[in-house]
Amino acid sequence: MVSKLIDLVKADCEEALASSVSQLEKLKNQKIFITGGTGFVGTWLAEITAFLNDRYHFNTSLLLLSRNIDAYREKAPHLAARKDMELIPMDVRNIVEIPSDVTYIIHAAATPDNRQHVSDPLGVMATITKGTSVLLDSSVKLPGLKKILNISSGQIYGKQGQGSEAIKETFMGAIDCNTITSVYPEAKRYAEALCCAYWSLYKVPAVIARPFAFIGPYQFLDKPWAINNFIRDALNNNTIRIIGNGLPMRSYMYPSDMAFWLLRLLAEGNPGTAYNVGSPEGISLKDLAEKIKQFVGAKSKIDIKNMNEDRSRIIPDVTLCRESLGLTVKVGIDKTLQRSILWFQETGHTR
Amino acid sequence: MNARNNNTKKVKVAILGSGNIGTDLLVKTLRSPYLECSIFIGRNLSSKGMSKALSLNVNVSNQGSDAIIKNPDCCEIVFDATSALSHQHHAKILSGLHKIAIDLTPAKVGHFCIPAINLDECLKYNNINMITCGGQSSIPLAHVIGQTQKQVDYIEVVSTIASKSAGPATRLNLDEYVDTTEKGIMLFSNCKQAKAILNLNPAEPCINMQTTISALVPEPDLVALEKSVNAMVAKIQQYVPNYRLVIPPTYENNRIIMSVKVQGMGDFLPSYAGNLDIINCAAIAVAEEFAKKLTDSRG
Amino acid sequence: MKNVIISDSTLRDGSHAISHKLTKEHITAYAKAADAAGIPIVEVGHGNGLGASSLQVGLSLLDDRTMLETARKNLTKSKLGIHVIPGFATIKKDLTMAFELGVDVVRLACHCTEADITERHISFARERGKEVFGVLMMSHMAPKEVLLDEALKMQSYGAEGLIIMDSAGAYLPGDVQSRITHLVSHLNIPVGFHAHNNLGMSIANSVAAVEAGAQIIDASAKGFGAGAGNAQLEVLVAVFEKMGYKTNIDLYKALDAADIVEKEIMDAAPSIKSVSIVSGLAGVFSAFAKHVAIAAKEYNVDPRDIFFELGKRKVVAGQEDIIVEVALALSDKKKRGQHG
Repeated sequence: MVSKLIDLVKADCEEALASSVSQLEKLKNQKIFITGGTGFVGTWLAEITAFLNDRYHFNTSLLLLSRNIDAYREKAPHLAARKDMELIPMDVRNIVEIPSDVTYIIHAAATPDNRQHVSDPLGVMATITKGTSVLLDSSVKLPGLKKILNISSGQIYGKQGQGSEAIKETFMGAIDCNTITSVYPEAKRYAEALCCAYWSLYKVPAVIARPFAFIGPYQFLDKPWAINNFIRDALNNNTIRIIGNGLPMRSYMYPSDMAFWLLRLLAEGNPGTAYNVGSPEGISLKDLAEKIKQFVGAKSKIDIKNMNEDRSRIIPDVTLCRESLGLTVKVGIDKTLQRSILWFQETGHTR
Repeated sequence: MNARNNNTKKVKVAILGSGNIGTDLLVKTLRSPYLECSIFIGRNLSSKGMSKALSLNVNVSNQGSDAIIKNPDCCEIVFDATSALSHQHHAKILSGLHKIAIDLTPAKVGHFCIPAINLDECLKYNNINMITCGGQSSIPLAHVIGQTQKQVDYIEVVSTIASKSAGPATRLNLDEYVDTTEKGIMLFSNCKQAKAILNLNPAEPCINMQTTISALVPEPDLVALEKSVNAMVAKIQQYVPNYRLVIPPTYENNRIIMSVKVQGMGDFLPSYAGNLDIINCAAIAVAEEFAKKLTDSRG
Repeated sequence: MKNVIISDSTLRDGSHAISHKLTKEHITAYAKAADAAGIPIVEVGHGNGLGASSLQVGLSLLDDRTMLETARKNLTKSKLGIHVIPGFATIKKDLTMAFELGVDVVRLACHCTEADITERHISFARERGKEVFGVLMMSHMAPKEVLLDEALKMQSYGAEGLIIMDSAGAYLPGDVQSRITHLVSHLNIPVGFHAHNNLGMSIANSVAAVEAGAQIIDASAKGFGAGAGNAQLEVLVAVFEKMGYKTNIDLYKALDAADIVEKEIMDAAPSIKSVSIVSGLAGVFSAFAKHVAIAAKEYNVDPRDIFFELGKRKVVAGQEDIIVEVALALSDKKKRGQHG
């Protein structure tokens, strides 16, 4: 990885932590076990922890569980080489025991690729349900466990209506469990229910994060999400196609904010509580396409096809994180897009 | 039953991969007069395959290839039914430990093997690749075309399998299947050009695997072809009992055409999964040949 | 006013009708005319799509590269489309080449219950910036709930439209209305329909599809396509105009394009022959027609018997080898009957 990019990511971490380091005090000298340790979320947690250790002498060590360590070594060799982070080649479903000196756990093992959800629904469901079950079960025996953060999904709220309000954690949601695209959110809901059961029965200190959408370094553009398609097509000067009317609203959080929010939830989140993690700043797909085109400097046409009536809004209400944990968004949509585009251009990951 | 010395010991075999393929291999191994499964290795002790192995009193391990590294005497031959990616790792480890690896994944590290054609030659190698299911059913006949016809311009192989017999991994890797099968056809038939096609059919009750081989041959000799095809089919039936010729070699519409149906033995895989069964039967045939060679050399 | 996008399969489905013997002259003449008529998408290639030229489904006169190059030269406003079936075409050998030649629209097709074989190919096409539609073939062989499930998969992979094909010409308008309605009400992407005329229903079915919310309709000039042919493009343009739907196609120029097909490309106008009716009723892939005719002649059996047997066995597109097996079996039965 080019050192320029490493520096950019470090600068992002610095910005996310600026004047807020004390909010993570509790994590000093702790041992954090992270499942899905080498995925998008895991990699950012490692980057921000590395910064905390190097700049602020946090002395926090990480145990990163991963199914593909070789890919991690290629993606982030500077992290893979660190002595304060141990890589464990293992599938979360096969965990037998967690080292007894682990004090914090982040369960980030997940498969956010919606193509995989429909092609391998059984594998995806098993990873989520069995993986969460095995993890929670192993965590009961840990003598010093202070908190376990389960990374759930904003998709558990189900399909959003036209022009809905920003989604609060108390929104019950409605998922048609009888359709293939629901297997992922259903499994995530089950995983949340498991957390509730372990907390109720064994007082396992489980906190739930419900992440929405993110874009930034260490993301790849291959998943067929609208923002990925827009960036990829703009970078290649291809036509940016919007199937509907461009009015659906979404929000995108930059991953350095995400990583800080997650560590804060780990340190100070309330067990038995779910928190939305994402940007409250909504943007329409049309505006998103136009901003991306502008920031890339692309010659792409934007083709709004008007072939559906979708006007859904998927935007989290983050009042709970803001008021109870003092969390704010430091990187607005423009900077989020600009930095992401720079990353994709520099890494050549334009596909 | 063949006459064997009572003192002849079976050769120890390890199976890497406790999914459906590995478990089916286990059942076949237990039936073999030449092989003994000393260890059944997966990553999850609570999988169906593991339960089956335990119920059959077979040693199990969830340590992956470490189980063999930690106890190298446990086996001489290893079946790898994991994944192409995993086999890349395993191949190096097993080679270092001087094991014979029989690879059922599409990794293509080792020597391509069709037991009915080049079994003896394969005994010289320590990593044998079983190509693909369509390959195992069609290449023997493509080979016969190559052997009996003066000039073979083009060979085409179309396999149709039951949808239920193709899991997510197969479906994601169709291109790989086509590519590997074509390579196998050309290697064993010396034809100028080859094409492989795969169809999935969801009909219930599930259909057995059907493979049709057709060829463009300028001067076809059907008499020689029919004789050799029948001999080859008989040879294959020795290790794949339900391999049947359903269209005998025919010249129709300016091409040679013949078709075979394969029904599985139903050991652990359902019997309609003839495509998976044939590659397992072939792998067992290879292992048994290695085992015979090893016991013979020990006197 | 509502829009309908007509996707033209003359130079692809039509290929079946002349045993894949399309020439450079055919492609040049028709592509030019279709482009002039403002037809939005012009599909070109072997009847079974990219990389399908084979003994199994018929050898093509021209290779894919030549067909696509010729078409690309002659299409300026119209988009150049290809039909792709994984299992016949691969990314390395076929898609890469087609993309280099400047294909615009990729229609990734599979049997209507096997959408997950298209995941890799849809992803690849999207990554290369191509417009991608998912296509479910022989869609009469599955109920609408299954079609939706498979369509949701293709939508998840990144397909920007979903077309169901009546590959056997087996549907009645009510069938089409029920399926299209179900898909339209649950998908975010536009839905399309591809008709065959075995039971004389191609126009009625296409109309039913549009009334149920389909926004993409496949058609061929003069109905030039497999079996009894497809919905006749110029007829649809006129009908949609009359119904108040906008096609953005110049009717006169579409008629001129159709005349080219009649005079220069077709052997005979598509008609509903006895075997077409039988194959439509039996629910068998329309494009089997020529292969069945050859086998029936060779083994001296009734082609209609072959079709009914194929229907009983629930064969799918690509299983043309079973035609020979069935013909042989019927022939044997006949011989035994004669000696019995």
